[in-house]
Amino acid sequence: MAEVVTTSLNENQTRAECAVIALEHVSREYTGRGASVRALDDATFSIVAGEWVAITGPSGSGKSTLVNMLGCLDRPTAGTLKIDGADLAAMSPTELDRFRADKIGFIFQQFHLIPYLSALENVMLAQYFHSMTDEKEARASLERVGMGHRAQHLPSELSGGEQQRVCIARALINNPPILLADEPTGNLDQANQKIVANLLKDLHQTGHTIVMVTHDPEMAALAQRKIALSHGKVFCHPIGGPVVSLRR
Amino acid sequence: MKLTLGSIIRRSLIHRRSRSLSALTAMTVSAGVATALLTLYASLDTKLHKEFRSFGANIVVTAPANTPNLAEQVKKAAGPEALTAPFAYAVATTDRGTPVVVAGVDFPAVRAIDSTWQADAWPTAPNAALVGQKAANFIADERTLALTFAGQKQTFASAGHLRTGGDEDSRIYISQADFAGWTHASPTVVEVQIPGGAPQVEAALGRLRAQLPGLEVEPVRQLVEGESRIVDKTHALMFGAVLLIALTVGVSVLATLSASVLERRRDFALMKALGGTQLQMMALFLLETVLLASAGVATGWLLGSAAAWAISETNFHTATLPRPQVLPLVLLLNLAIAAMAALLPARALSTLEPASLLKGE
Repeated sequence: MAEVVTTSLNENQTRAECAVIALEHVSREYTGRGASVRALDDATFSIVAGEWVAITGPSGSGKSTLVNMLGCLDRPTAGTLKIDGADLAAMSPTELDRFRADKIGFIFQQFHLIPYLSALENVMLAQYFHSMTDEKEARASLERVGMGHRAQHLPSELSGGEQQRVCIARALINNPPILLADEPTGNLDQANQKIVANLLKDLHQTGHTIVMVTHDPEMAALAQRKIALSHGKVFCHPIGGPVVSLRR
Repeated sequence: MKLTLGSIIRRSLIHRRSRSLSALTAMTVSAGVATALLTLYASLDTKLHKEFRSFGANIVVTAPANTPNLAEQVKKAAGPEALTAPFAYAVATTDRGTPVVVAGVDFPAVRAIDSTWQADAWPTAPNAALVGQKAANFIADERTLALTFAGQKQTFASAGHLRTGGDEDSRIYISQADFAGWTHASPTVVEVQIPGGAPQVEAALGRLRAQLPGLEVEPVRQLVEGESRIVDKTHALMFGAVLLIALTVGVSVLATLSASVLERRRDFALMKALGGTQLQMMALFLLETVLLASAGVATGWLLGSAAAWAISETNFHTATLPRPQVLPLVLLLNLAIAAMAALLPARALSTLEPASLLKGE
């Protein structure tokens, strides 16, 4: 694990200097059959290291488009998107794959565990595509989310909440600076929602930057800041408390 | 414990066992049929020529009467692989006064060349005769078979009847020694059987004509040309069958592989989201395909070899042994089928959009 240092955003540091994600006039337009749709329109905002941001908005508001770009799965058609200081537009597809493996940890609503791999192997899969597998580290990651005792179980043998915890362990294994959670509690019952919410709180406290898409107001309330989307337009809520965590 | 490409593929194949099994079955069928046909194809010439040899001679040499050492000359010119059988002919009269053609032959040589001749028993003792079944009607007493040639009466004992369905049925065959002692005539016809196909026969014809200029050397046209046509047609038929089967299996494998990619789009999308490169995705999919193709070839080669053996045994009454040299060809064919069938699914992989797939759209 990389060292995580909690510090304050002081007067000498601008938001831009601490930004781990920075969008400047970013738009994403889809064209097809002679028509074009602007799914994201002139978005400008930044997320600083250690911040927990909730992205909210109704269906079709551009949440998925924004998340795809923040997850390096898509690129803007206009504007500049920088993640950890790197401009995504300048990267080749292979560089983008590498960058994604290094910088982003995905937590999905539907967990997306490979059905024929055990919980441990699912975590190791992220290591495999990142660099090299290390069973000890993978086990430690599962222990961290309270799933060490279920390491050898297949996804079909796990409950929804357990699968989501494995998904979180997988997202954490390569120690990425950004966790991108897309409706992380959308498929869970109340008890498991609470477990996952607590896990995310812990991760935030230890300095992780969390970008979370959610429809759930309770989950959104856990974030320091909300970014609301409507018809592709971004509305940033004011920056919350002064304390943020910086990961070095 | 290490997670490797091999272990991911192994788990994936076992997990989707019915899909894997159907792809493996298609590949096995393809390899099996290709092995059987190629194995038979490789030994087809030998087997068909052997079958055609049972129809008799493919060259006939005719010489004027009293040509010295005719049989030896022909044998020398025809080559060591050729079989030869000299025939000497005379017209004698039976005890009923009916003229009949009597032939002096070398019985072991005739049996070797004319293997379709059916005799009750072949003469082995001196003064024994093989009587054609039609010729038997011209004889009053076969036990003391009295024949007269140029006023010389000679008595033979019938060893058995001959049935060929041809002119031979109207003749009487005796040994060359008995014939020479009785008629003082030497062979005027030599039947030659050249092993191999039309090219070998043509070559032997050239040699015989060159070395024996005073003799009439003629091929048995119907046999040589018929053999050539049948061998060519059989080759074409087998080629066509291999292509047709390859095409059918290719379509079946394409359907299986496409379905395999389609049902795992989310797995591949996830791998891509986790940082898997296009190359790694392709490697995973193509290696899986190659593994299935190779396993199909191994199983198919064994089954195909067994099928070739059974077909050969049933149709040609000789075993065709497994041919390891067919294996690279079958492997190449199956890999080509798998590669072509994998092209479309591989293209689908390259256009995967992880974001929408993982979102469940």
